[in-house]
Amino acid sequence: MIYVNDLRKEFKKAVKEPGLKGSIKALFKPKNEIVTAVDGISFHVPKGEILGFIGPNGAGKSTVIKMLTGILTPTSGTCEINGYIPQKDRQKYVKEIGVVFGQRTQLWWDLALRETYLVLKEIYNVPDDEFKKRMAFLNEVLELDEFITSPVRTLSLGQRMRADIAASLLHNPKVLFLDEPTIGLDVVVKENIRNAIKKINAEEGTTVILTTHDLADIELLCNRIVMIDKGKKVFDGQISELKHEFGNMRELVFELSKADDLKKLNYLEDLSLNADDLQLENKNMTVSVRFNSNNVPVEKMLSYTLSKVHVKDINLKDADIEEIIRRLYRQEVSIDEV
Amino acid sequence: MKFRKFIRTYRPFTRAGMLESVAYRANFICFLLGEIMSCFIMFFVWRAVFNETQVFSGFTMEDMVVYLFITFLTGYLTYSDGTYAIATEIRDGSIAMRMIKPCSFDMCFLFQELGNKIFNVLVIFVPITAGVEIYRYVITGEWQFNIAYFLLYIVSLILAYLISFYFNVSYGFMAFYLKNLWGADILKEVIVNFLSGATIPLAFMPAFLETALNILPFSSLSYTPVMIYMGMYSPSEIVYRMLFQVFWLAAMILLSKLVWKHAVKRLCSQGG
Repeated sequence: MIYVNDLRKEFKKAVKEPGLKGSIKALFKPKNEIVTAVDGISFHVPKGEILGFIGPNGAGKSTVIKMLTGILTPTSGTCEINGYIPQKDRQKYVKEIGVVFGQRTQLWWDLALRETYLVLKEIYNVPDDEFKKRMAFLNEVLELDEFITSPVRTLSLGQRMRADIAASLLHNPKVLFLDEPTIGLDVVVKENIRNAIKKINAEEGTTVILTTHDLADIELLCNRIVMIDKGKKVFDGQISELKHEFGNMRELVFELSKADDLKKLNYLEDLSLNADDLQLENKNMTVSVRFNSNNVPVEKMLSYTLSKVHVKDINLKDADIEEIIRRLYRQEVSIDEV
Repeated sequence: MKFRKFIRTYRPFTRAGMLESVAYRANFICFLLGEIMSCFIMFFVWRAVFNETQVFSGFTMEDMVVYLFITFLTGYLTYSDGTYAIATEIRDGSIAMRMIKPCSFDMCFLFQELGNKIFNVLVIFVPITAGVEIYRYVITGEWQFNIAYFLLYIVSLILAYLISFYFNVSYGFMAFYLKNLWGADILKEVIVNFLSGATIPLAFMPAFLETALNILPFSSLSYTPVMIYMGMYSPSEIVYRMLFQVFWLAAMILLSKLVWKHAVKRLCSQGG
């Protein structure tokens, strides 16, 4: 369905020295440096899968999406979707995909929302009865009725996002690209949008690729995740694999009765641990220790802590996906380990 | 059949363009008042230059007034927003949203702009031509309106608009390289206005310059249709000038395709 092979994208970036002097210098003698935004990424997505694309800001997620949708031309490498090369057969290819960029809109700013759908209907050649059925379905899952006659510029962010997603689905695309579809939305709208994506995936078998910073999106929606950082792929697999792999991370949270007690705790030396295995945070007497339970058993951690200090309250937490990703983002886990 | 599908695809852009233009009526009225005012300022400048009886390179004062207003009308009708619209979309990166639609980029713009213009054309066309004809009647004592010239003017006007459109589209794509086209756009306006005869009739220029400017594409934008309206060209000259327009239109379409093909490879989306 989607084959991506060794995709690379380099940008030329103007280098300017600071201040007015630097700007004037750059005017006469522009200097460029080459930035590699995407550095040899390969993956494959079968039909009907929901793939989560994650990574810290500036990792190159959006650049990959833009190459997959035919907006940007890769510096090297190939991508093939539904048998098309996006940059080559742009007009034919985009008929079969839907795209939403969370920070942009494809709706007509000054027109009533309904007008946008009528324009799209003609562009994509959607027959009348098909259009009616589709609109009814989208209305049901995204609740467009309450604002369909309002000009787009008056919509709230949540309404606009729902409208944008509906616009990308009007022609029943085979692949749906969502670039941060839940950015800046409240919990209810997020929930709404997730349900819609799920339902469309289930009913139409639409393949979905989405990027997000919201880990709940990933846990609730994705079968599989691809994580990239600095343009390189650092993880590709099921969420359960990731959890299994890093399920050993635990977090011990306790509240001290005396602030001085903290000095008595010296996990690294007393338990002979590496700095990698342990992280300690202290906030107003509440201490949280993240540790790798492979290298130090939970009961040892507990007994050591309790023997050294008086605690008011103590709590042991399981590793959640957020914790794993945080570690990956900080590059505490290298690619080989995964 | 293919033509019908083409119209079906792009017609909604015209419709949306019309709806858009209605959304900003006050803007249009202000623009119109400003333009008409500057027209009258030019009228008083030229009246100071001309003596009652003087004839300048085949232009009487009466011709000059007609020239002024018909040039204004032509300039307004052939004006294309392509440069600004494309440059803005490139600058804020929203051009990406056009590229994910299964339609040709320039056609979307063209049909949207036609929709934007339709009402404005109706509002401005009749009063100005009527005004000019009444003026000519008052001055000369008989009707000067010539239906053949008028129809040829319309054809030439449409050609001029299309040349202007593709020229502006090509120019707008320069934003792919310059990122912000505001300064370059103003420069273009001034140069084009001068070279196309919109500021001063080309007949007033030194002979060598007049010949050169007649060959360049800019005269096709304004001077040719205006001279046809005024009946300043002989029939053979009209044919010749219109063929010239067709030639430049083809050249501009080709140019815009080439520039688009090249520029799109350099596209780096701004703003995420």
